[in-house]
Amino acid sequence: MLKKHPLFTFIIFGVILFLLSNRVDELRVFQGATVAIYVIAIASIILLTGYSGQVSLGHGALLAIGGYAAALSRNEWGAPVWLTFCIAVLAAALGGYLLGLAAARLSGPYLAGTTLALAIGLPSIANQFTILGGEQGLLFDIGTPPSFLGEEFTQYKWFFWIASLAALIAIYWLRNVMNSRYGRSWKAVRGNDVAAELAGINVGRNKVLAFTVSAGLAGLAGALLAMTISTVSPGAFPLALSFSLATGAVLSGVTTLGGVMIGAVTLVAIPEIVDTVVHRFESSESVANNLPGLLVSTLLILTVLFVPNGPVEQMRARHEKRAKR
Amino acid sequence: MIRTNRRKLALTSAVLAVAAMTASSLPAQAASDPGLTSTTIKLGITVPLTGIASPGYNKIPGAMKAYFDYVNANGGVNGRKITLVVKDDQYIPTTAVAKANELILKDKVFALVGTLGTASTKAISASTQLAKRGIPSLFVNTGFSGFADPKAYPTTFSILPSYQMEAKIMGKFLKDKYADKKLALIYQDDDFGRDALAGFKQAGITFTTAIPYASGSQSLPATGAGWISKLKAAGTEVTVLFGVSSASTAALANAYAAGYKTQWVLGSVGGDATTIAATNKAYVPLLFGAKGFSFAPAPTDATDEYIKLFQSIYAAAQPTQTFDNNVVAGMSNAFVAVQALQAAGSNLTRAGLMKTIESKGASFANPFLTPLGYSATSHVGATGYWIGTYDQTGALKPDGGKYTVYTTDSGTGPVVESTYKRPAMPAKGLPN
Repeated sequence: MLKKHPLFTFIIFGVILFLLSNRVDELRVFQGATVAIYVIAIASIILLTGYSGQVSLGHGALLAIGGYAAALSRNEWGAPVWLTFCIAVLAAALGGYLLGLAAARLSGPYLAGTTLALAIGLPSIANQFTILGGEQGLLFDIGTPPSFLGEEFTQYKWFFWIASLAALIAIYWLRNVMNSRYGRSWKAVRGNDVAAELAGINVGRNKVLAFTVSAGLAGLAGALLAMTISTVSPGAFPLALSFSLATGAVLSGVTTLGGVMIGAVTLVAIPEIVDTVVHRFESSESVANNLPGLLVSTLLILTVLFVPNGPVEQMRARHEKRAKR
Repeated sequence: MIRTNRRKLALTSAVLAVAAMTASSLPAQAASDPGLTSTTIKLGITVPLTGIASPGYNKIPGAMKAYFDYVNANGGVNGRKITLVVKDDQYIPTTAVAKANELILKDKVFALVGTLGTASTKAISASTQLAKRGIPSLFVNTGFSGFADPKAYPTTFSILPSYQMEAKIMGKFLKDKYADKKLALIYQDDDFGRDALAGFKQAGITFTTAIPYASGSQSLPATGAGWISKLKAAGTEVTVLFGVSSASTAALANAYAAGYKTQWVLGSVGGDATTIAATNKAYVPLLFGAKGFSFAPAPTDATDEYIKLFQSIYAAAQPTQTFDNNVVAGMSNAFVAVQALQAAGSNLTRAGLMKTIESKGASFANPFLTPLGYSATSHVGATGYWIGTYDQTGALKPDGGKYTVYTTDSGTGPVVESTYKRPAMPAKGLPN
């Protein structure tokens, strides 16, 4: 069904999300919004790593560019909310383009190192410029939900709707791009860049383009993240965020867009599970703080060991094997 | 064909899984406000327990708990015992929002109490929609004047005087004492510092040199050195520092390293010896001779009945910790919170509590040396400051050996010497 009527499937999925958001309590709605944001961020990594073969450990920095661009455009020029998201996408894409120009010349660990440096360095730039608000950051207030939605319509539901809609549109669009000439070119570059070049694909330009598109998506995720917490500050985009996004991509399976939910839900669910466990056993604060990291890392190692291409790809491979038999 | 079926199956099961996960927690209908039973009241606080700003501030929740436990052991508030859920926000606004969300949505606290930092408090208010949901945010640990304005933040109550008040009182002090000196100001370039600028303007103070800094930049080595060379070049004689304690540390240490002498005047936020000692114990004596501001009795003042009680409660609850102004701040905060909960009566509601603070808050018993300013039109806490000088141990001692308190408002009102006499403490420091 997904293959034949993709748009229809996405709309159905959207309607299900809409119905769900009216049935569950606010905490779940808020977590749902976070899942939607992670979906976009992880998809952006999957596009970059899985489809164009470039590694980024610095996606947090691109999210930061998006978040700050959205907050600045809202605070300084009073831009309407939808426009702030567009500006976030453009600003991050521009950042990604510049980074991509450098990245196209690098590969493997060198590229990972460069992006890592960016993730460490970029957020602290905020401390240098007053307009970026230093460590305390900037407020990013998208305002209350429109009144026609009723008194009972909470802020979190509003966040959830915006984030889910953005995620659905982004994934739908990305899916189409992947099946277009560009997507095929990127896959060819990842597979074997010499062969791709022989086939008439401009490898450098395609790498830069993939980086730009991926950064634009990351910028959207950053602006949405800033929206849910109403503020941007360097502390919102720590190195840990970059790493957990990369982890989410591996858990999802870096080469399949379809598994993106798995990574996103895992990243949100693990702290929740840990919290429940910790409360049950009345463990100390330090256990509660460190256990999520340990669990995510363990999952990462297990995934790499046993399902290196991610659970979705693994299932498909097994299925195809059986079909051949 | 098999493939499409598989896909359908996968899709359906994914949707079902999400549905099951979310449906497992349908909202329960609450009869009373959250965080409340007939025997308990649940409050929540988010403060920096770890990270760069945590030294000093991390003692606040322990101090609050010590007082709450003392009250609980003596029968509680209207028969209810208070529990305090503590979260660590590392002084990062985004983390503070996440933690406040946890407190409200997961722990379901009755009210937030003692949120710390202007940016964190603002972010929490905006993101969690405190006002719209009618969640009280009691006695926030920030002096941003906006939080005292019930029109902007209807459910938020300050405990500190506003930074604007502080700057006005500081301005009068500068005029009285250093009128013919060359003045300089180092301030944090955000709401915190801008509030002070407004106060100084009202006081009619002009600084020869004004140095803004972005919060966070004070931890870069070049920043502090840059301040000192600017102060030196301008021939500054008196330097006002309206920033956080890590900025004070940077300024004092760099001035010392450069052999530069100036009369330091430190804002109440930036003069905390515990915080400075956490960077380097050797920096504490550099505070010696600096002027400072406070509205609570000095933590070393054992003649004060509140300090005496707080010292004994804290020594029993936290025997390994030293009793300092952060502890006084935490326990005072808890004290006023208990007064408010007591006054709101046994038929406690969120709305009722806030109404009570507005109508009776100005007469709550409290340890401060200035009157409280709560009313329907203002949510400001203490309303003034006394001025003192730091000794070698980093303790602030009142000038002239006694507290001379000045009060003012966040508007155009004058700075006046207060005639306020604090009422006697309720018996055993318990709600009455």
